[in-house]
Amino acid sequence: MDPTLIKLALGGLAVLGCIGLFFGIGLALAAHKFAVQTNPKVEEVLEILAGAQ
Amino acid sequence: MIFSVRKSIYLTVLLIISLFLLGGCRSEHPFVKKTAFKDADKILIEFAGAVDESWARNPANYTVFEKPDPDIRLIIKDISISADHKKVTLIFEDDLNKNQPHILTAANISHGGKSLGSAILNVKKFYLGYLFSILIGAMIINNFVFTKYLGLCVFFGTSQRKSTAVGMGITFTMVMVASAMISWFIYQFILQPYRLDFLQIVVFIGLVSLSVQAVDTVLRKVNPVLFKAFGVYLVLVIANCIIIAVPLILADNQYNAWESLMLSLGAGLGFLIALFLMSSVRERLELANVPPTYRGLPIAFVLAGLFALAFLGFSGMSIF
Repeated sequence: MDPTLIKLALGGLAVLGCIGLFFGIGLALAAHKFAVQTNPKVEEVLEILAGAQ
Repeated sequence: MIFSVRKSIYLTVLLIISLFLLGGCRSEHPFVKKTAFKDADKILIEFAGAVDESWARNPANYTVFEKPDPDIRLIIKDISISADHKKVTLIFEDDLNKNQPHILTAANISHGGKSLGSAILNVKKFYLGYLFSILIGAMIINNFVFTKYLGLCVFFGTSQRKSTAVGMGITFTMVMVASAMISWFIYQFILQPYRLDFLQIVVFIGLVSLSVQAVDTVLRKVNPVLFKAFGVYLVLVIANCIIIAVPLILADNQYNAWESLMLSLGAGLGFLIALFLMSSVRERLELANVPPTYRGLPIAFVLAGLFALAFLGFSGMSIF
């Protein structure tokens, strides 16, 4: 294989991985900071119900 | 409340300043300061330092063409150079069509006897008028729904009520601008320098869903009323093809920050206009006596075709 191509591929993996990691952490932090408290009973009730609709 | 208003003003100012910086810092060649149209048939190039006169006076060093027609080279009649050798004016045989951006290639710029490499320069008409023409072009003349037939499933899905149509249009415009700016930034400053532009579609899809998710998360907390009003449409934005078409167009045309902002804004507002027009007709249609086989989607498609015909009247127009 052409070494420049391998370099391109590995560089691409690294760069895209970094972008993904960066935005992933950003989203996680945002979700943490803007967390909305929901009543856990809502989910429990929903689970007990038949859920056809 | 006052604090948050002030904070958002700060944020907006910061965003505008950074846009200025980003728009300004992209120069195609470090030795070229500025290119501009002058009079009817001249292009002015301003260099950062003095260039050699023998190089500057040789017309073989320049190739100029309109961006859409690379094979039609414009003929240079004369070249004048200023006394300090920093400004070179190319005079052409024919008048220039300033509505098209021109590509100017200056081969082996020579400064003090040594070559500084070639420069490929974009010459564009100034500027506010050009930006405005991009906005109106994307909004009306090349309306994405009616002339390019993009985003049809969301278009037909949410144009039954006027209120939902307007809500969808506004949500869409916001997310469109945000995601297009992020995609523009990533494309210009990460994908292109690392020669990864063949991955643009994958990256853009990721960025679109990222911005939708981010708006969803933040809005849920910051403004629950608006979030309730947007409801399911926020997620539906992901399924719209306009939102992926715009970053691809930006990447294709090498737009800068302001042009990208205008194109994405125009695309969003154009979608809003299309939804509003369609929904106001469909609301009336419910009272009309439509034959049973045509009720619902079929008549909506006929309507969209009629709208597209009407929008055809705008085609080929240019502003300024």
